[in-house]
Amino acid sequence: MSGIELLNMVSDIGSMMIECGAEIYRAEETIDRITLAYGYSAEVFIIPTSLIITINSAGTPLTKAMRIKARHTNLDRVDKLNNLSRFICVQKPDAAEINRHIEAIRQRSVYGFTLKLISYYAVGGTFAIFFGGGFMDAVFAGVAAVLIILMEMAIERVRPSTFFRCVVCSLMTASLAIVVTRLGLTESFDKIIIGASMTMVPGITITNCMRDFIAGDFLAGLYTLTEAIIVAVGMAIGSVSAIAVLTV
Amino acid sequence: MSFYDFFLPSVKCFVASIAFGVQFNIKPRHLIGAAIGGFGCQLIFIITQATGASEIISCFTAALAITIYAEILARKLRVPVNMYLVVGIIPLVPGRYIYETMITLVDGDIDIFLRSFTDTIAIAGAIAMGVFSASSAVRLLKVRTKI
Repeated sequence: MSGIELLNMVSDIGSMMIECGAEIYRAEETIDRITLAYGYSAEVFIIPTSLIITINSAGTPLTKAMRIKARHTNLDRVDKLNNLSRFICVQKPDAAEINRHIEAIRQRSVYGFTLKLISYYAVGGTFAIFFGGGFMDAVFAGVAAVLIILMEMAIERVRPSTFFRCVVCSLMTASLAIVVTRLGLTESFDKIIIGASMTMVPGITITNCMRDFIAGDFLAGLYTLTEAIIVAVGMAIGSVSAIAVLTV
Repeated sequence: MSFYDFFLPSVKCFVASIAFGVQFNIKPRHLIGAAIGGFGCQLIFIITQATGASEIISCFTAALAITIYAEILARKLRVPVNMYLVVGIIPLVPGRYIYETMITLVDGDIDIFLRSFTDTIAIAGAIAMGVFSASSAVRLLKVRTKI
């Protein structure tokens, strides 16, 4: 395999891993191992928003920089890429075959859209009950949770910032909860808001933040920590403004 | 405390963990293991609290337990640790305190605001410390890293 082919391949794998919610050290190690398996040496620098790889190809350094923009959690894809890299290290297949595998992983989706919606409903509903709500609280928390994901998809087109997305979604959730309570369908709105907001908790971001810090990637850790704080502040501002306006 | 009090919140966590697993695209084979992690995590949290420990200590213990569980299982099945860890950690997120912090800020009740804010930070810190300690210990144990 030529240096350029290898560089394109590992950058594809690395960026896809980070996109789908892998830790930094996992992506770096994967790239290191693959390049080593083909007899090249690589210098890798990855942060959650970009990656830079230099491969030493017979004395000539080849460098590729890539911007990672999309973020969508898909842990199954991380697992698949992990297995692929293990396969590559053992079998050393040619570029065409690896690209076919990468394409297959990109196409693959474990659960359909309907099942995703049901899972959002379940998260909202169960957490509303978990935090002490009643049956009606759970029903409306589920509705709010589904609305959150639909809203996220609706505003995807305008490429919203993380902060804006959280403010809009939590504003909507809190308004719905308060309106429902005003109509007398539930006793209090707080359980609905807490339950539905759990779908917005950046679980993967928080976990990756801790794991990046442990692995010694402090820059990446700080980035993800900031992201988690921004999400929390955005959610707080959204719900607080709805509560402040609608409950006077 | 009755049997009911111990198990009901854990069962709720089990259901919520499955739902979260679907959101994160964890495939069915690993979904059950991850959900059992969420169940066990909550059970340990409740048991620790029943012995009279504070909420912070309970969170720390639960986070410690779930991290050890996730690290061991992930290594055995050769999957990313995140698959089991993320789902188990989420029920520990102090949703109620975060909410209380927001509400009291609007109400202008600074005393309760400060208290719930400190509680939120402390619990988040306890979870992070739990994950930190367990993961660091596991990292020391493994001689050669496997990806």
